[in-house]
Amino acid sequence: MASSAAAVMAIVPSRARSALLNPQKTDGADSFVLVPNRRNPISTSKASPLRATFRSNRFHSVIPKIKAQSSPGAAEYIPQAEFYKIEAILRPWRVPHVSSGLLQMGIRGVTISDVRGFGSQGGSTERDGGSEFSEDKFIAKIKMEVVVCRDQVEAVIDKIIKEARTGEIGDGKIFMIPVSDVIRVRTGERGAKAERMSGGLADMISTSIST
Amino acid sequence: MLSAKSYTTPLRFSLPFKSLQGHSPKPGLLPARPTHMSSIAATAAAAAAAAVVPVVPSPPVKTPSQTRVDILSESLPFIQKFRGKTIVVKYGGAAMKSADLQSSVINDLVLLSCVGLRPVLVHGGGPEINSWLLRLGHQPQFHNGLRVTDALTMEVVEMVLVGKVNKSLVSLINSAGATAVGLCGKDARLLTARPSADAAALGFVGDVSRVDPSILLPILADGHIPVIASVAADDRGQSYNVNADTAAGEIAAAVGAEKLILLTDVAGILEDRNDPGSLVKEINISGIRKMVAEGKVAGGMIPKVNCCVRSLAQGVHTASIIDGRVPHSLLLEIMTDEGAGTMITG
Repeated sequence: MASSAAAVMAIVPSRARSALLNPQKTDGADSFVLVPNRRNPISTSKASPLRATFRSNRFHSVIPKIKAQSSPGAAEYIPQAEFYKIEAILRPWRVPHVSSGLLQMGIRGVTISDVRGFGSQGGSTERDGGSEFSEDKFIAKIKMEVVVCRDQVEAVIDKIIKEARTGEIGDGKIFMIPVSDVIRVRTGERGAKAERMSGGLADMISTSIST
Repeated sequence: MLSAKSYTTPLRFSLPFKSLQGHSPKPGLLPARPTHMSSIAATAAAAAAAAVVPVVPSPPVKTPSQTRVDILSESLPFIQKFRGKTIVVKYGGAAMKSADLQSSVINDLVLLSCVGLRPVLVHGGGPEINSWLLRLGHQPQFHNGLRVTDALTMEVVEMVLVGKVNKSLVSLINSAGATAVGLCGKDARLLTARPSADAAALGFVGDVSRVDPSILLPILADGHIPVIASVAADDRGQSYNVNADTAAGEIAAAVGAEKLILLTDVAGILEDRNDPGSLVKEINISGIRKMVAEGKVAGGMIPKVNCCVRSLAQGVHTASIIDGRVPHSLLLEIMTDEGAGTMITG
């Protein structure tokens, strides 16, 4: 899921994308396209880094071939976006702790859904309701989704971990997914204005700065 | 007692203020544990101050009825908070050996059951097992605090725990006015065991692999008190001796208990081992893990702490380690802010 999101974004050509990929080499490269190599589909894992190819061969002799895997920063492709969705799979009875902790820090928009899952770590079993559950038994969890702007992400993740952690197997996982836009249905606002909730973290920070 | 009666008027004015200060339990959140004197201690101090005669140990004084109803009405918020909730109590240690403490625990259980809470009693029985093993000429052996259980020991454990200790507790509860049902892990496959990790050294000592609480639900719904002995069988019927603390923790997780209470022979978890006044009243999971990592928790306490954390991680709201040597420790823990030991919250 994360890799297909990256694949969708990778196909869009732009100078900005190339600047992201090769932060040290900002110019000299004409626009180039990230073409999924037919043999190696694009993925974000370090095992198969992206391959960049030039569109025009006219400047072949003048402009050096920039191969993604050879430049230092580009072995890891981290998609950059203004907003990130933080998807946390948690124990159901920890969710009230987490949501009150998030409210305290000013995160005011959270979605939860009931899910079931397994995700055992080879050999050790999770305990649910007194019984041990091995590999393919589904256990009820809650998925909590929060979309915040980029600079709030780390604080939200730390808060979720702090409130939800018990230290036993089965505490869950958190995924970070880039979100390209946020739109408010009621007003049609897009972008940072739509993401911002009144009385939320941004307001708390700005009032503490102004006072 | 005339002298006490003449002081009921000031008591009547002072107590309502104390109750406003002390109790405002928010639904879903635990009440804070302030260190103000409990109203019981306040009234005792007032009565002692009022008494003209020097206070000497004497036959129990009848508390004035005003005091009694004041104390009763102050316990209303706690009763309301916990009514209908299941409380799993692990009974062992000194509270099991002394007849007075035993009757106070039994009476507390009956009171809780009458008031609307649903107590479940899980018990061990180490001293009884030891004495019967010695009567048969077999020396009890322990390895890392757990009983080395060979085939003969397993038979004796099963007979003593399920046949003697369990039934005597059941009949004590019956005599006190409630109805008890005695079970062991084998009944209705309540507990299914598997050999523990060091079965080679320990023999038939088991860990809980599965809990099926479906037999407990109708018993609790009908207002009976289940009394559970921690002997279980594996899938093929081989008996295993399961540690009673572990069994209590997993049963609490399985029935969705509100509280797990472990009765022990110490005051609770001490911040500083040498200072009995440094009792930790309330702590959360990460705090107690830090204390264990720092080595502040005594060796014998660590399995109890681990069992508490395991059941908290599975949804039990609070797990308490309380002092079983104090009379009415159960009521102190459940019905007062101060508690009788350490409460670990989620």
